[in-house]
Amino acid sequence: MSGPDFIVYVVDDDMRIREALEELLASHGMRTVAFASAGAFIEAEKPDAAACLILDVELPDINGLDLQRRIAAGEHPPIVFITGHGDIPSSVRAIKEGAVDFLTKPFSDADLIGAVETAVDLDRAHRAARADQAALRRRYDDLTPREREVLPLVVSGLLNKQAAAELGISEVTLQIHRRNVMSKMAAASLADLVRIAQRLEIPITHSRRPSGDVS
Amino acid sequence: MRAVVSQPREANVLLALLVGLAACVATGTPFGLLAPFAALLLYAGGTATRIVNGALAVAAGVLALAAGLAPPDIAHRALDWAAFCAVAFAVGRTIAIQAGRSPLGRPAIATRIIEAMPAHAWSADPGGRFTYVSPNTLDYLGAPVADLAPLPGSDEFGWRRVVHPEDYGRVIEAWRHSLATGDPYDTEHRLRRHDGIYRWFRNAGLAERDREGRIVGWHGTTIDIDDQKRAEAALVEREREMSRLVDLVPSHLWRLAPDGEPIFFNRRMANFLGFDVGTMSNPGLDRLDRLAAAVHPDDQAAFRRTLGWSLHAGEPFALRYRLRRADGAYHWMSSRAEPLTDEGGRIVQWYGLCLDIDDQVRAQDEARRRERELAQLVDMVPGLLWRLDPDGRPVFFSKRMVEYFGDDVEAFDLPGKAGVGASATAHVHPDDLPRVIETLDRCLTTGEGFALNHRLRRADGVYRWMSVRAEPLRDESGAITQWYGLCHDIDDQLRIEETLRERERALWQLVETLPAMIVCADPAGEPVYRSERLRTYLGFGVETLDGAGETRLNRTLDAAIHPDDRAAVKEHYARCLATGEPYLRKHRLRRFDGEYRWVETRAAPMRGESGDIVQWNLICLDIDGEVRAREELRLAHDRLTRASHAASLAELSASIAHEVNQPLAAVVANSHACHRWLSAAPPNLERAKTTAERIIRDANAAADVVGRIRALFRQSAETRDLVAPADVITEARELMAEEATRRRIRLLVEIATDVPPACVDRVQIQQVLVNLIRNGMDAVEAPKSERAIRIEARRMDDAIRIAVSDCGGGILSPEKIFEPFFTTKDQGMGMGLAICRSIVEAHGGRLWAEANAPRGATFVFTLPVSAAVAP
Repeated sequence: MSGPDFIVYVVDDDMRIREALEELLASHGMRTVAFASAGAFIEAEKPDAAACLILDVELPDINGLDLQRRIAAGEHPPIVFITGHGDIPSSVRAIKEGAVDFLTKPFSDADLIGAVETAVDLDRAHRAARADQAALRRRYDDLTPREREVLPLVVSGLLNKQAAAELGISEVTLQIHRRNVMSKMAAASLADLVRIAQRLEIPITHSRRPSGDVS
Repeated sequence: MRAVVSQPREANVLLALLVGLAACVATGTPFGLLAPFAALLLYAGGTATRIVNGALAVAAGVLALAAGLAPPDIAHRALDWAAFCAVAFAVGRTIAIQAGRSPLGRPAIATRIIEAMPAHAWSADPGGRFTYVSPNTLDYLGAPVADLAPLPGSDEFGWRRVVHPEDYGRVIEAWRHSLATGDPYDTEHRLRRHDGIYRWFRNAGLAERDREGRIVGWHGTTIDIDDQKRAEAALVEREREMSRLVDLVPSHLWRLAPDGEPIFFNRRMANFLGFDVGTMSNPGLDRLDRLAAAVHPDDQAAFRRTLGWSLHAGEPFALRYRLRRADGAYHWMSSRAEPLTDEGGRIVQWYGLCLDIDDQVRAQDEARRRERELAQLVDMVPGLLWRLDPDGRPVFFSKRMVEYFGDDVEAFDLPGKAGVGASATAHVHPDDLPRVIETLDRCLTTGEGFALNHRLRRADGVYRWMSVRAEPLRDESGAITQWYGLCHDIDDQLRIEETLRERERALWQLVETLPAMIVCADPAGEPVYRSERLRTYLGFGVETLDGAGETRLNRTLDAAIHPDDRAAVKEHYARCLATGEPYLRKHRLRRFDGEYRWVETRAAPMRGESGDIVQWNLICLDIDGEVRAREELRLAHDRLTRASHAASLAELSASIAHEVNQPLAAVVANSHACHRWLSAAPPNLERAKTTAERIIRDANAAADVVGRIRALFRQSAETRDLVAPADVITEARELMAEEATRRRIRLLVEIATDVPPACVDRVQIQQVLVNLIRNGMDAVEAPKSERAIRIEARRMDDAIRIAVSDCGGGILSPEKIFEPFFTTKDQGMGMGLAICRSIVEAHGGRLWAEANAPRGATFVFTLPVSAAVAP
């Protein structure tokens, strides 16, 4: 048993719950870090690893649901809510905001572990996607300004001639830029480049059709 | 009587003359002439005798000398004649001496003298009988001398008849006294003249005595002193009058000696001063000091100086000063004194006059003061005063007016209308000038009073509105002597009036445009004004309903108030009118179209300065929409209350669940962990043990929570107070009153007077009561129930028994209903009665239910009487 490559964070103000969860998760061989309040969790140094957050709804400083909303903007581990008295509106809200599960105390071993594993898998996927995205972004950042102008024109499907006219450069020069873009962005084909552009959310600003035809 | 005396003497002279001549002839010597010579001398007497004697003596001397020198023949004859002259001289001397020595010697002359005297003479014998009475006496009396003789057969004298009867007694007494003693007799009395008129006489007589001193007779005179007597009487009378005059003149008269010593004060002065000259301590100048001391201290120096100067210089004295009266009050005096000088110019006396001018001085002072006040008044009057002569020439401008104009009013001192005209032109606002001039002209011509409001320029150039009035003063004949005018500054007043009018208009607009209906009523409540809005609403005005019999108020109330509200409104309004309390009531008011709408009427008294109510102001707001909305709101609120009641129970249960679930969750998680530690290969006993310990701990915690929840309903005694159950019941009823009214259920409260206070948690007992009342209300919703809840409280030994009973559907199982979660209602947790019982039991009381006959239920609970107040 080589030890898990993920961490389970537990935020609950009740010491007994924290102890019990740590014990239970430890018995499943999971690494656990527990916090008594949302503030302590936010402040804490968190290693760059897949994670899951088990969050109590009733917290002394801020409500768990509010914490969820506050950290929604940044990268955070998927959340599994636990509550002493779950009501439907809170659970609906929590799920809508992206919670993995909403468990009412007392909850069963299987439910909790299932939820934790789902959350960790989700976080792994998120992390992988975020890593790809970061690589693409790095490549895009390497482009020269002129290449960044050329990229949207190319992925819009304009012919080289059209794109060159658009930028006021010769077709040959455009072809050089296009080749550089393809190589810098590690795109095997134009279709590949289009997909990359989509992931980078580069807008398609030009239609291949002449503007006069649109009416 | 005359014949008796003279006849023998002349005969004797004649006889002596004859005898002498005969002897002379016979003897041839001159010696015979001696006899007639003697007789002649006797007859002649007096001065003639002395001349003859002188001549005889000289002749004798000359003849003797001649006899010595002459020849013997002549000498012889001369010697004869010398001897004759010597003898004749001797005879003459003898006769002369004889005549001088004897009174009887010349009776005729004496008698003549006596009878020629302007007096009456008389003689009497020692017995008082008249021996002689001069003829003029008898003429005066018109009676013979015999009438004066003593009356026969009495000791009275005959002259009694002529003496005035009033004087007789005195006269006869004096006469008898003189006769008896020989003292000179002297009386004054009246004698009756022959014509019956009495005149005063002085009668004086002396006794004649012989050589031995015996009285031989009485001689006397009676002199007419009637005129004297009258003059004397008149003098006395005049002096008395004089003295009275001096005393009675309404002034002080005084006299000073030349050196200033007071020697006389008239009675008034003495009375005034309280002392008289005679009563002053020491004669001399002390008296003057005493007089000066009565002068007012402030005037004393002047008095002394002036008087001193007058006395010194003989100048007349004149001074005004205050003199102290006997009672201490000082009176102003005007005093004057003049010296009386004799022929030599020396001052004999000072005559002084002192007039009490106190009233005058005071009157003058008063007059001066009044004049000053009047002048002050004229200057102080907050108006501009002026005077014109009949022609319109300005005669006087008051100080304020001069200040107001600020320019030289002398410039307007022009004759006739020019003066007032110039003044008007200079000061009156140009717009007002024509009518001012025109009115002035008319008034001066016709004499009618001037009254005009116009603007007048002030010194600083500002025109201010003035109310100008002028009236002529007329003399008896009706001719105008003066015009008196007053300019009263009404500028501020006009502005204020304008502002007030503006404000009133604004207020009126406010009142009329306020979204409320407004009524003003007199102190008796009779409406005197209604705003347009209310008139429109009611469809009638203030006077519309007026008529005989009923008051306007009653007619209005009868016409406009909803019949169901009318009696209460009348009663409440009448009470407020009587007490002056503000009125506030909601009731339905009939609109012109017959619809009754809810209004809220508020009235408050408006009081005058004395605190009396002068008016009632009412505001009437249409709250129909509000009332309906509020009814709906109340229903909503009620639903909300019930919902929140339910919500709070849910919250309570959630909280309970959380408290219990928390340890339970820990127990469950630990159990799973323990199970996994034990199931692992090899089993991790150490950790399994730890988790097992935690399971025990957390399970106990869950049990504790349950215990704590139970304890929630077992309140401690800390919040308990000594409370009168009546108060708690009243409060509970008030809490439920609105709901009861809405559900049309009556709440009847009956509290015995002997219910003592109890030591309870007021809120909890209230909750119990509210719960029981609400249960009762729910029960009487059942059909055929009497819609009433009775709440009774009374004392029962050492406990207070409070019962809430209804006549509703009743209860089937009186004990079971107190079990938790037992409910007969659709929406209920079944906790109410259980909690109620636990509260009552926590207070040391009991709560149970009884079935009522024929129907309904009674919930009874007891509370122990507090030990502190238990008897």
